[in-house]
This record gives sequence, structure tokens and C-alpha cells, in this order.
Amino acid sequence: MRLRYAVRGAAWVAIYLLFILAPLFALLAGSLPPARDFWTEFAIALGYSGLAMMGLQFGLTARFRYVTEPWGEDVIYHFHRQISLIAVGLVVAHALIIFATQPELLAPLNVIQAPWSARLAVLSILAVIALVVTALWRVTLKISYEAWHLTHIALAVVAITAGILHMVGSGFYLADPGKRVLWIGLTIFWIGLLLYVRIVKPLFMLRRPYRVSEVRKERGDTSTLVMRPDGHPGFRFSPGQFGWLTVWGSPFKITGHPFSFSSSAAVMDGRVEMSIRNLGDFTSAIDKVPVGQRVYLDGPYGAFTIGNPADMHVLIAGGVGVTPMMSMIRTLADQGDTRPVILLYGSRDWEAITFREELEALKARLNLTVVHVLANPSAGWTGEQGFITADVFKRHLPPPYADHEYFICGPDVMMDAIEKALSEMNVPLSKYHSERYSFV
Amino acid sequence: MRRLFADRLVFATGVIVILMSILFALLRAAG
Repeated sequence: MRLRYAVRGAAWVAIYLLFILAPLFALLAGSLPPARDFWTEFAIALGYSGLAMMGLQFGLTARFRYVTEPWGEDVIYHFHRQISLIAVGLVVAHALIIFATQPELLAPLNVIQAPWSARLAVLSILAVIALVVTALWRVTLKISYEAWHLTHIALAVVAITAGILHMVGSGFYLADPGKRVLWIGLTIFWIGLLLYVRIVKPLFMLRRPYRVSEVRKERGDTSTLVMRPDGHPGFRFSPGQFGWLTVWGSPFKITGHPFSFSSSAAVMDGRVEMSIRNLGDFTSAIDKVPVGQRVYLDGPYGAFTIGNPADMHVLIAGGVGVTPMMSMIRTLADQGDTRPVILLYGSRDWEAITFREELEALKARLNLTVVHVLANPSAGWTGEQGFITADVFKRHLPPPYADHEYFICGPDVMMDAIEKALSEMNVPLSKYHSERYSFV
Repeated sequence: MRRLFADRLVFATGVIVILMSILFALLRAAG
């Protein structure tokens, strides 16, 4: 499984580079316009590459399960964010080098006199800069997630459309009809990926709704939505995976929210559960969702899943990060798995431990050990307290530590600390699996 | 750690694209 993922991951990296570089070098095929100096050609190559990278951003966020599986959705979104900075750097460098080598081109920047291809270049670069600024400083700028999401998509379409029209308008390489068709076709393909996610997929989801059959109140200000497929068999998922949930509105709504499935994957009737903590945003209304409410689920996604021949599973959860672990534990129990499972579970205090009673009950069905680590324990607490550290691991896990499979889900700060602790214990990267629930 | 890997991938992609852009420019400038 791991080797297959590695091969697939490498293949996707190669395809990604191919989609950037092949259209660039295709410009060198056939009849060519007169050669220019190195810096001008370098700037042009940066512009084309930057545009191709921006277009591929639509592919990275198109939720293609086969593409994201080897990496995990959180890593794909992290890559999406980081590579956008490179793409923007290339596009800005393209403009700066052109102006440095041909300062006379600065004059047409006067918006009244400038040719339309130059105006489109300015529009594209401004849209790209706005994309980055609003993405990096959304919270500081006090832009709501929903408004930002819509603006983000609109700015991306403007940046790419204006970029390709600028290239066509500038002529030169794209004066060749074949090359023009190639680049315009690629742009249509990129924007088509967006239409696929925003129109085709929602159409599919519209025909496969779910109904809320129960809303269960859990400890830790968390509610579990139990959802059943309405008029279709539903989908199968692996424990640890997640889905995009739309509770209010249609699947065409721009912003869906990713939540892990918390129910057993061994359930055969299509029923799925998501346990959602009240974080003060839209999640505060989850416990008020009426039974019978129609909801939409896009999934399953994610590579954070058991299903390997581990000697024992070490599950490390912080707060609501326990939800994928519950799915794993419930599934292992339903499958009659006999391997040891250790859950290291960080919570605020004893009363806030989501699924506390059920975890106790599951010990009867599974070789399960639960170690609670409380950040604010009461006076009489004799268990672990503070945060999950390497010392906590060493007190509760049998060596050799590198033999176990580690699954981690929780707040970013906790995950960074755990990954560091595992690294100090010489656990190889291949042995731990994580999913950051704050990836969007 | 996985994100560190992704960061390295981003860096490598950037370097490859810039090197290929240089190659493109060299090929063109050389005629």
C-alpha cells in the first residue's frame, strides 16, 4: 500500500511538472518568431510557467480522490498555498525583468493609452497580488471565510483569464495558431476543473442527499450528526477519512466544511456519523439541526486511515481530533481485531472528554488502552496532565517505538510537538500518519 | 513532518521551473 502510494505520488509530481513545462517547451516547436535577448526570453518563460502553475491550482483543489490519496488532503492544501507564492513570484519577476530590460514598456502602463494586452497584464498581476494578500491576511483583514472563498475563486479566474488574454494579445509565440490553441485549450481545461468541482460534482451530490436521523449531544460541547442516505446506497469509507458537509443550503454553496467520520466503517447500511465541536462559528448551530434535515456529503477523502499490518495502533488525539480515532476504534471493534490499540487522548478536563463513557465500554470488545492527558485536571487527578510529550509516550508504550504505527490528529501546535517527539524517539516518518483538521 | 516534505517539494518545483526557464531562454537566445 505504502509503496503503491509512493509510486503514485511520484507519478503525480512528474505529471504536475509536465503540465507546467511541456506547454512551455511546446512554444519552441515549429516556426519561431525572431530570437530576442536572454533576459527577455527568460522573463517570458517565467510568465508562461507562472500562469501554468496558477492554472494547476484548480487541479490541486478539485478534490480528485486518486490524486490526493497518496498525500492526504491537508498536505495537498498546504502545497496549494505554498506553491501559489512561487507562482506569484514567477509572474511578478516576469513583469519586473521585462520592465528592467525594456523600460520603454512602462509608458504604455498609462491606462488610457495602453494597449489592451498591457492592461490585461496589469489586471492579472493585481488579481494575483490580491489573491495572495487576502489568503495570507484574511483574518487580519476581518474577511469572513465564506466571503473570502467566493472572492478567492473569482480573483483566480480573473487572474488566469486576464493572463492568457495578455499572452494572446502580446502575440509573439501565441501568434502561431497551434500554440494559441494549446494555451487557450489549457486555460479552458483549468477553468473546466473549477466548473467540475462547483457544478458537475454538486449536480451529482444533489441526486444523492442524506437525511439527519439523529443529533446526539456529546461531552466537550460536541454534537454527533447521524446521517442516512436518502434514496441511494451511500458510500463506503475507511476509518479516519473525512467528507465535506453542507448542512444548510444546496451542494452548489461555495463553502463546504470538512469533518472526519466518527462512526464505524464496518456499518453496511450507508449510515455515517460526524461529531462536530462547537467552535463558535457555524458549528454552534449543529446541535439545533432538526431530525429529517436534508444534508449533502462529498466524500470520502483522506489518506489518514488504518488498514496496515501494524503490530499495534497508537492513536494520538487532541480535543475533537478524537473523531477519526473513534471511527478507527469502533471499526476495529466491529471487525473483532485483536491487536493492541493505545489511545493517548488530550482533553481540557475530565468533564470535557468526548466519548469518555463509550471508550470505557469499548475496552470490553477490543484490546484497548486509553490514556487521558488533561490540560486542566481537578485536584484529585492522578493520571497524566499537561500535554502529550515524548515522556508520556515512553511511560505508556512498549519499546521498540519504531515498530508501532502512529496516528495523530489534533490542533496544529499539538501535532508539531508530537511529530518532534516521535522524531526524537527515532520513529521513522513512514510510521506515522497524521491529518490536520485545520487545513482549510 | 509531512508538511515539511511538501515544503521541500514546493522548493524543488520552484527550482526546476526556474532552471527550465533558464534553459528555455538559453535555447532561444542561442538561436
